[in-house]
Amino acid sequence: MTLKLLLVADSDSQLLACQALADAVRALGGAVTVNAIPKPGTPAGVLGALERSGPLWAMSTTRLLADPRLEGFDAIGVYLTGSKLAEFRSTYRLSRQRQRQPLRPLFCGFNGVVLERFEEAIAWRLGYDLICLNGPRDQARLDLLLRHTPFQAQRSVITGLARNRPAPASSKARERILVFAEQVVMPAAPHERRRLVQMLARLSRRSPDWQVLIKPRVAAHETTFHAVDTHISATLREALGSPPANLQLSYEPLPQLLQRSRLLATVSSTALFDALDFGCRPVVVADFGLRQDLGTPFFAASGLLRSLDASEDLDALEQGSDADPAWLHWVGYHPEFSAANLLRALTDLAGGVHDSAPLQLSHPGYVVNAADLSTNQLRRGAEAAIRCRDYDEAARLLEIAQLHRPDNRNIGRRLAAVRQRNRLLRRLALLVTPGLRA
Amino acid sequence: MKLALIAGCVAGRRACRLLSEALHRCGSTVTLIGPAPDEAAAEPDWLPLPLPQLAASELLDHVDAVGVFLDGESLRQFRQIHGQAAALRGRSPRPLFSGPFRPLYGDELAADLLPRLGVDLLCLQGEAQLAELNWLVQGTPQAQQACEAIGLWCLPTAPIGHSISQEPLLVVLDQPEIPPSPFANGVLYERLCAVARASPHWQVRLQCDQPLPPDPQQWPQTSLGWHHLQSSRPPANLQLGDHADPLPGLIQAGVCMGIGSDWLLPPMVWGKPTVVLGDYGIRTAFNGPLFFGSGVMRRLMDCLPLDALLNSSRPDPTWLAWRGWSIADGPQRLLRRLEALIG
Repeated sequence: MTLKLLLVADSDSQLLACQALADAVRALGGAVTVNAIPKPGTPAGVLGALERSGPLWAMSTTRLLADPRLEGFDAIGVYLTGSKLAEFRSTYRLSRQRQRQPLRPLFCGFNGVVLERFEEAIAWRLGYDLICLNGPRDQARLDLLLRHTPFQAQRSVITGLARNRPAPASSKARERILVFAEQVVMPAAPHERRRLVQMLARLSRRSPDWQVLIKPRVAAHETTFHAVDTHISATLREALGSPPANLQLSYEPLPQLLQRSRLLATVSSTALFDALDFGCRPVVVADFGLRQDLGTPFFAASGLLRSLDASEDLDALEQGSDADPAWLHWVGYHPEFSAANLLRALTDLAGGVHDSAPLQLSHPGYVVNAADLSTNQLRRGAEAAIRCRDYDEAARLLEIAQLHRPDNRNIGRRLAAVRQRNRLLRRLALLVTPGLRA
Repeated sequence: MKLALIAGCVAGRRACRLLSEALHRCGSTVTLIGPAPDEAAAEPDWLPLPLPQLAASELLDHVDAVGVFLDGESLRQFRQIHGQAAALRGRSPRPLFSGPFRPLYGDELAADLLPRLGVDLLCLQGEAQLAELNWLVQGTPQAQQACEAIGLWCLPTAPIGHSISQEPLLVVLDQPEIPPSPFANGVLYERLCAVARASPHWQVRLQCDQPLPPDPQQWPQTSLGWHHLQSSRPPANLQLGDHADPLPGLIQAGVCMGIGSDWLLPPMVWGKPTVVLGDYGIRTAFNGPLFFGSGVMRRLMDCLPLDALLNSSRPDPTWLAWRGWSIADGPQRLLRRLEALIG
């Protein structure tokens, strides 16, 4: 059976994750359409690559949920940020019920290694038919979080960290290039970002027959999940004035760089696994120590930690141990973890191998973010309650929304309107206060 | 056994005092050392030595082991100076034990544990923390890190008598920096006023979960207490608790409530009805992951009438056990491990 999947994403990292998943599923015989929710600043290169590899739609969530072609898919993968994930699941179910259409399995996952706030992320993902996890490490953390809770039945599947098809062995010698995969907030402090480029400059000067290419996460005019003030190109100018000739920024796509370069260095980027896919030797920058805010503890057992400062030159940096196989398995970089597991799990779901009833999210004593806790969900729920003239319920939902967004005046005004006890005044107040626009 | 316990911040000092009392009951002699966070908070039973001098001090040569319950950077500094000073004197450094002195989980626990790795014995609280330590160190040079779970040692969880107040009392734990904006705190304060007005036969007490300055003018605008003082017409049954110590209020309480304060755990252990406010969802910055599985989360609006809370809202005992509650002989476990270390 050929599974037809729809993948929905908005920001660049999520689109990249979808690209990798789509390629893997297609290689296994599945059919994939990607819907990139339009968002200003999304890198054109990311959209272009998606378009070249298969069908690409660009609809808003509202338009997508009304599109009759939705029926043609066997499952929908949603790669959005936390509150939008929960909102999509909720609105998808409501729209299917309204249109009397059957529900397709929904799955979600993570766009790379999860360095922090894993539990919070899971609290937004609960209720999806399947949560894709990177590896046994994430599975253990999920199990600990859900142990003894009513959500133990949440289904998950390990789909691994390999994002590219392994590069065929090339007889061509790799160039003496070190690619540094920049991350916009790792490290975040300006003085540490300056120190980083200074260390790279020092290695460049000491290794004149090498080229050091800094691969910026995004171009200066593009946006990613994290908002930053200073682009790496500005940090480079600020910290070095005129950098050595063999230290440059490169906007060449990362896969192409990794296929011809000898070394990749990163603080904590998922690009490390791309390097492994393409046979490029990765190193993890150890100069800032193992710090939770940098995500470096994730790599502590990798066997790849190296100090740039303490390295004589790039030839010395290249002489190091390979990644530890036990660590690779633990984090999810292993042939037994792949998109094939997702397809198998979706086939099992469709075949009724498991109980397909959605996970019940409301239990006394438990609160999960996914259970209608995004501000927009709360406001939408309040509007539905107003339409049913259940003003107490509307007030209850708006009060929670106001705790989340105390600075939103529209929520405050709407709340004051539903609290109005005089019927006529309440009707007037509801007419003049703004509800949530669809 | 002769031990020294070192702490700097308020939470560390409170935890060390509790541990010293427990160790004392087991026959050990404990000296509490460390500078007070400020001069006004100096306590007579603490040796107020500055950290660099203390780390190099020969005083430590006279104890069998040293418990260092400092935060990251101070701990690093202490270990470095202590090791160098001992080497200069031609002696071995004292056996050091350390561990998180708050009931941490997830990212916060990992961040807390990283600078403590490498001490002679790591003191954790329960099974959940042991599992997280194992994930952090497996495959690393610290994989063999010695550790012991010694229960919820850092909070007052010993049984208390029946000392609840005559009138039903709801104690709301006020975390001075959560939610982090004054406006959000103001909204929460108004909601609590509404709860108080809807429950005229209850007393509602806003209890700060950490000491605040004696002068209310210096209280942060992100505390409920600050908003209470600004309020022109607070409900008559809404009051402020002791600004220096949350414990008496919690002992008197009929029901306790909070967003993510560590102090929600003692009333849970004592068996008091406790509510973790779920209105903000599971947020790492609000300590949500720790309380996710507690079984006592609910939204503020679902807490009315307050009378209904008296017979409900008890935490899941297995969740509590995994935090460390099931370990009743923590001090004895610690002493056994230290004896083995000293040989």
